[in-house]
Amino acid sequence: MPVTRVLYPLYQLGNPQLRIFRPNWFLTLVRPGKEQPPDTVQFRTPMEMTKCDIKNYLENIYNVPVGAVRTRIQFGSNKKRNHRNQKIKQPDYKVAYVQLAQGQTFSFPDVFPEKDKTPEEGSMEEMEQKFMEDEKQRQKLDPRRGGVTEWFGL
Amino acid sequence: MAASSSAGRVLTLCKQFQNVFRISSAINTKHCTATLTRCQPHLYRETSPLAALSWCSPVSAVSQCRALHTTVSRRGLDEFFDLPENWGENNVKSGAPWTAKQLRTKSNEDLHKLWYVLLKEKNMLLSLEQESRRQRLQMPSPERLKKVSRSMFRLETVVKERETALRLLQTGQEKGRPGAWRRNIFGYAYWYRYKEYAIPWYMNKRYKRKRFFTPKFVQPHIRLRLEKHLRGKARDASLQRGSRSKLKEKFPQMKVSAS
Repeated sequence: MPVTRVLYPLYQLGNPQLRIFRPNWFLTLVRPGKEQPPDTVQFRTPMEMTKCDIKNYLENIYNVPVGAVRTRIQFGSNKKRNHRNQKIKQPDYKVAYVQLAQGQTFSFPDVFPEKDKTPEEGSMEEMEQKFMEDEKQRQKLDPRRGGVTEWFGL
Repeated sequence: MAASSSAGRVLTLCKQFQNVFRISSAINTKHCTATLTRCQPHLYRETSPLAALSWCSPVSAVSQCRALHTTVSRRGLDEFFDLPENWGENNVKSGAPWTAKQLRTKSNEDLHKLWYVLLKEKNMLLSLEQESRRQRLQMPSPERLKKVSRSMFRLETVVKERETALRLLQTGQEKGRPGAWRRNIFGYAYWYRYKEYAIPWYMNKRYKRKRFFTPKFVQPHIRLRLEKHLRGKARDASLQRGSRSKLKEKFPQMKVSAS
């Protein structure tokens, strides 16, 4: 969230060109919904960013060679209703498809890999787990009764 | 303006040197940074042309300005993701957000660098959040997002403080954007903030259509407006007084509140 509302000067032909000091634009790298070619990266960008902005952003801040940028605007859903039956609008956003240059490829990594959840020996978590298992065992019914409830019988 | 033009000349000189003599780029970069950082204290406006980040510049100039303010990036697009050892963890440890007190001790250059560090961190966190939402999992340590945005907010305030101080010293103006008190056609006074126009005001039809004056025949209406306002205020006050006196009659022991 920006504090200062920056008023940029009017565009003038020639150098020096307009520079941006502390850009408050945030890109979100997302996993593409439809399959993309291996050199294409999908971003969600703020609405006011242009193709040139995206290219400069990636090249200058992230040092990523950018070949081409294609953008579209995604309409946020307007279907949801709240408890007063009013329509709830999800915000629109811009989607950018960035094609990398110099033969670079990108594939979205698996950020949430399956990790074995065995806790360490003698740790608090292990004791907790053991205790919970014991309690479960204790609360189980007698197997010899064959599922007949406790209150039934002599 | 003079500082900017000289800096621009230095930049072009640097480029020419690189092109002609093919000196190793490391030395050139160092030289360039030195010259640019010396000019840094003279700048106080956000829009001054001597930026740290060379925006809208060809890729050849990027390598020169790389060492200036942006953090050195080696990982490219992998910087949009957390470190691989943090993948799949339930909570990731993180420090406290930067306080304004800590940030005030830093130099302008450090603050500029820090902004880009925070920007990258926030991009990473936003990507992580979106991915976790997509996989219907809980985001690991979501409090990091708030921490980063708070740090950025504080950094902005600190930079603004410095700009204000410098502006007060140099021009004696408190506000970054000049303005003046003006009256509109209905006699309301408001703070008009100046902005840039491409053509002078006397040629600008749209500017001239705005009327920054109050005609003579509006005066009685201003008076009427004032009267209406005062009457409303007086009526409210009398109503309150009446209700209070009635209450006092009914309940003499009642304590009267201050308001």
